[in-house]
Amino acid sequence: MPQQTRVRRWPWVAIALSLATALTFALVSPPDDTQGDLVRIMYVHVPAAWLAYLAFFVTFIGSVAYLLTRHLRWDRIAAASAEIGVYFTGLAIALGMIWAKPTWGVWWTWDARLTLTAIMFFVYLGYLALRRTTDDPVARANRSAVLGIVGAVQIPLVHFSVVWWRTLHQPPSIIKPDGPAIQDPMMLVALIVGVLAFTVVYVSLMVERIELIHLEDQRNAFERIADQSVAGDSVTAPDLGGSS
Amino acid sequence: MTTGFWPQVTAVAGRDLLRERRQGDVLWITIPFGAIALLLVPLAIGTDAVLLREIGPGMYWVIVMLFGVLVAVGKASSETVPQQDASSLLGLDPAAGFVGRAASATLLLLVFEVVVGIVAVGLYDISVIGVPWLLATLLIVAIGLALLGTLTGSIVNSTSTGTALVPLLVAPLSVPLLLGATQAYEGLRLGHSIVSWVLLMVAVVLVVAIIGVLTARPLQET
Repeated sequence: MPQQTRVRRWPWVAIALSLATALTFALVSPPDDTQGDLVRIMYVHVPAAWLAYLAFFVTFIGSVAYLLTRHLRWDRIAAASAEIGVYFTGLAIALGMIWAKPTWGVWWTWDARLTLTAIMFFVYLGYLALRRTTDDPVARANRSAVLGIVGAVQIPLVHFSVVWWRTLHQPPSIIKPDGPAIQDPMMLVALIVGVLAFTVVYVSLMVERIELIHLEDQRNAFERIADQSVAGDSVTAPDLGGSS
Repeated sequence: MTTGFWPQVTAVAGRDLLRERRQGDVLWITIPFGAIALLLVPLAIGTDAVLLREIGPGMYWVIVMLFGVLVAVGKASSETVPQQDASSLLGLDPAAGFVGRAASATLLLLVFEVVVGIVAVGLYDISVIGVPWLLATLLIVAIGLALLGTLTGSIVNSTSTGTALVPLLVAPLSVPLLLGATQAYEGLRLGHSIVSWVLLMVAVVLVVAIIGVLTARPLQET
């Protein structure tokens, strides 16, 4: 039988507290000189994009570690991280489009960063689709680990696209060799708090999702065993006769 | 079964090419399909010769990416599970199997690229410039697509969705090749250096080749 699990409250408390903190900083930070209050989208857009990178990098690490160790724990980490990464990539794209309309005048532009982010989204959507093609945990882990490694090739391409190509999207805002591009200290603090808060959300969701995948695997294994004959096809239940 | 790595690669590639010679999937199905696609585009967007000359190279590479993958995947996923088991029992190195399948797919993709390229030049009046670089680009793209198709074909082989999942997996992964190929042609047209784009494509090919060889055994175990 699948083991009983207890409900953990701390991930949800951590998510609520960190998001409330991030929201407070985002609201009290000053408006931008040119963009006004529109700049507040940045406090969600940038952390969501950061989380997408982090999540897909963890998927890569989990995939490599699985192929090296063959412990399914690593596969569960890779899968959980990919799911969260896809969600937050979608969020980053959607928020970017909402931000782009009033600032650039269009919902979408054929910018290297935007296009490659959308492509990265589809790579990991394919990863999740691949995982649904089989219930066998080992076969699923082997297949998706390979794709998790190949897909990671996109991550540096997306990140450095704003450096390698001349794009409309601004270059990195915080991590730059010559210091952060954001000059206002309060705005910088609000952005860093947002990134930290989203990281807490990521860790909390990971803990919950890994546990859930583990339980799903146990349930699938239990159902497979329940569907099998106890002693194979050679032994059948005795026919005791009588009317059916 | 021959014991060396390269003899095994040659044997697998030879088997796939022999199968293609007998069945003619690429020659009689995929190449005409690609040519029809090139013929349909002007019907949809208009027959302005200047516009077609402008978009022709890009359309060609898109057709190569989308249809070329079918060539590689078809070869990679054509083995049934019992056939794979038999190859394994005969001592076939999974990495040699991967390289052999990719090698045969590369050759077929080159044929596909050349034939469809001739059709594209004829229909869209594309200028053929910088022939040595162009040939190098065709070869690198063929190797890259063959490796990607073979790898994803191995990943989805004997899954419940079969090859239906392959386009979703390969199309986004082949973007660096598409970017490199189109930008290389554009660079040649404008007289710019295309070394950086060629290096990007070579890097992608190397990464996929290494991943394919290293993960061939775990994929065979599935």
